[in-house]
Amino acid sequence: MKVSFPYMGSAIVYKKLFEFLEHEVIMPPKPTQRTMDLGVKYSPEFACIPLKMVMGTYLEAIEKGAKVLVTSGGHGPCRAGFYGDTHRNILKSLGYDDVELIIFDAPQDNWRAFFRNVQKIRNGVPWHKVINRMYTLYRFVQKLDELEKMVQKIRPYEVNKGQTTQVWNQIQEKFDKIKTRKQLYRVYEECKQMLLSIPTRKVDEKDRIRVGIVGEIYVVMESSINFGIEEILGNLGVEVERSLYLFEWINDNLVPWILRPKRFKEIIKKGQRYIKILIGGHAVETVGHIIDFKERGFDGIVHLMPFACLPELVTQSLIPKISKEVDIPILSLPIDEQTGKANMLTRIEAFIDLLRNRKRGKTKEVFIDNIQEHVQEERVVMV
Amino acid sequence: MKIAIPHSLLYYYYFPLWDTFFKELGFEVVDTGPTTKDILDKGSKAAVADICAPIKIFTGHVIEGLKVADYVFVPRFARIKKPEYFCPKFMGLPDIIEGTVEESKGRVISPIINEKNNENISSPKIYEMLTEMFGFSHREIRLAIKRAEEVFERFKALLHSGLSCDKALESYKTGRWEKDLEKVKKDGDVTIAVLGYVYDVYDSFISMDVIKKLEALDVNIKTFEMVPQKVAYDNLKHYRKRLFWTFSNRVLGAGLHYLKDPEVDGIIHVTAFGCGPDAIVGRFLQYESDVAGKPFTTLRVDEHTGEGHMVTRIEAFVDMLKRKKWAKLSEVL
Repeated sequence: MKVSFPYMGSAIVYKKLFEFLEHEVIMPPKPTQRTMDLGVKYSPEFACIPLKMVMGTYLEAIEKGAKVLVTSGGHGPCRAGFYGDTHRNILKSLGYDDVELIIFDAPQDNWRAFFRNVQKIRNGVPWHKVINRMYTLYRFVQKLDELEKMVQKIRPYEVNKGQTTQVWNQIQEKFDKIKTRKQLYRVYEECKQMLLSIPTRKVDEKDRIRVGIVGEIYVVMESSINFGIEEILGNLGVEVERSLYLFEWINDNLVPWILRPKRFKEIIKKGQRYIKILIGGHAVETVGHIIDFKERGFDGIVHLMPFACLPELVTQSLIPKISKEVDIPILSLPIDEQTGKANMLTRIEAFIDLLRNRKRGKTKEVFIDNIQEHVQEERVVMV
Repeated sequence: MKIAIPHSLLYYYYFPLWDTFFKELGFEVVDTGPTTKDILDKGSKAAVADICAPIKIFTGHVIEGLKVADYVFVPRFARIKKPEYFCPKFMGLPDIIEGTVEESKGRVISPIINEKNNENISSPKIYEMLTEMFGFSHREIRLAIKRAEEVFERFKALLHSGLSCDKALESYKTGRWEKDLEKVKKDGDVTIAVLGYVYDVYDSFISMDVIKKLEALDVNIKTFEMVPQKVAYDNLKHYRKRLFWTFSNRVLGAGLHYLKDPEVDGIIHVTAFGCGPDAIVGRFLQYESDVAGKPFTTLRVDEHTGEGHMVTRIEAFVDMLKRKKWAKLSEVL
C-alpha cells in the first residue's frame, strides 16, 4: 500500500512506523505556504488551522501518489475528533474516490472498528514481528525526543550560530536510516556525542532564561505552523521545553492507564485547580503544565493555540488570572492562516525582553550583556 | 436570597425549569433581561477577544446579574446524552467566568450537569451541591426539582406543538400556557426553517430578531425545538459517527427533517462568528441542502455586525423564495 500521513513533529517516526509494517511510504512534503493555501482553499472557513494544514498535506501527498492516508481521530468534545470525517467528505467531493482514509479513533469508542483498522495497516506482518518492531519504535521515539531536548538546551548557548540546528538535521538523517534496536542505541550514543561537542558559551544561572511552550498539540509540535518557535527562541538565547513530546504523548495516551506515568496524573491534577473537569483538547494539560513549569523555575510561558480553538479559548480566558496567581508571565499566541511571521517575531522578542528585565530586577544584580568568554570545553549541564 | 439567572445561552431552553426550581426553594430569581448594547459591551470588554459572541454576551449578563443579586447561576454543562458532550466552552463556563469576572469570586452557583440520558436535567443529584452551600435537605431539593420538571415538560409540549422558544417562554411567564397555541400563524406566503442554537436565534443582539423580521415579511417559521429529539436523531442514522455535541446533532437532525418536509421552502442557518461546532454543522447542512435542492443561506454574526446588512440579506432571500414559489404555481396553473 502506498501509505502517507499528516505531519506533526518528527515525521520520521511515522515514516518508520509504516516502514516497519512493510508499507511503501510516500513521505509528504514538509508543509509550506503552498500546503496552507491548498488546505485553506478546500476547508470550511471556520475550521481551525490544523484541519486546513492537514488537508493541504493530504492533497500534496496524493499528488505524490499516496493511496492510503492514516490519521488519528479523537473522542473528546474538541472538534478535531471529527476532522477525519470532514477530510474524507472533502476528498470525496474533490473526486478522489480511490484514496482511502484510515481514521484511528480511540479504541474504547469502537473496539471492532479499531481492530479492523489495525488489521488493515498491519499488512500481514506476523504479530511477533509487529510487537518487536513496535517496541523498537517506542524506544526510537524516546531516544529522538531525548536528543531534541538536548538540542533545545544547547542552542541558546552555541558559539557558532546555527550549528546546533545543523547537527540536529544530521541526527534526523541518521535516525532515518536506523533499522534495528541495536543500531538505534549505537546511533543514539553517536548523536549524543555530536551534540556535546558543540562549543557553547558559559552563561551564569541568573542570566539564563527558560521558557515553556504549552498549548494545543498540533501547533505546539509542528514547527512549520508555529514558524519554528523553538528555533526562534533558541536563537534569542532562550532555553525552551515543550509541554508535549511524542514519547510522552504515547505514554499518556496509548499505554494502558495503570502503566501510565504518575507525572501525567499530577499534571492533570494541577490543571484542575483552574479547570475543574476535562473539557477536551489539551486545555487542562495546558494549565497543568503552566503551573508545573513555574514550579520547576521557568521564567515565562509561550501559549500557542489555533485561532478560535474551542478548549484553548477556555485556557486563554484564565491566563490573566493564572499569570497573576502563579506569578509567571504568559504570552498567548493564536495562530491561523492570517498570522504573519514578522508580527509574531516582534511579540516574542518583546516578551523575552520583558523576561530578562524581570529576572534582572529580581536578582537585583547589574546585567552584563552576553559578553561571556568563549569557553570551548564548557558544556551545558543536562537536567 | 437573590439569584440571578443570566438571560443568555441555554436560558432560552431551561429557564422555566430553573426558575421554578429556585422559587420552590425560596430564592428570589432575577432575570437579567434581554441583551442590551450595554451588556454586550461589558461582556466584550471582560472576555477574551477571540471567543464567540454568545460567551461574551453571557459574561455581560453575569456582570449585570452580580450587581443586583447575591449569587449568579452558571451551570457547567458537560453532557445530557451519552456519548455526546457540549461545546468545550460550556464545559469550562464557570472557569471562564471565574477567570474573567473578578467580582464573581465565591458567588457563582455552578452545578455540574453530567447526565447519561436526561434532557430535562432533572436528577436531584445535580443540584445536591446546594445542600452544602445553603443547607437545604435532600428532600427539599428532590421535591423542588420534581415540580420544576413538570413545568418543563409542559414547556416542551408547547415547543413540540409549534411555538418557538421565545413565545413559549412568554407563555410560561404570563401563565397563559396552551391558550397561546392559537397564535401559531399558518398563513404566510413561504415557510422557512430557521436553524441555530437557541442562544443565537433568540438573542435579540446576535440574530437581531431575525424571526420577527421574517414574520413581518409574511414568512412562516419553523425552528429546531419544534422537532422532537427522537425525530431529529432518526434523521442522523446514515452518518458513520454522530457529532460530539448534543445541540449540534439536534440542529443538524432537524435540518435534515425539514429538508424532507414539503412545506419548508428554504433554510437559514444562524451562527455566531467563531462557533467551532458550526464550522462542521454548517458544512453538512450546506451539502445536504444542495443534494435536496432547497435554498440555503448562512447568517453569521458577531458583535460588530450591522443590522442594515442583515435586513438586506433576509429580504433578498425571502424574495427569492417567493418568486420561486410563484413561478412553480404559475406553471401548474
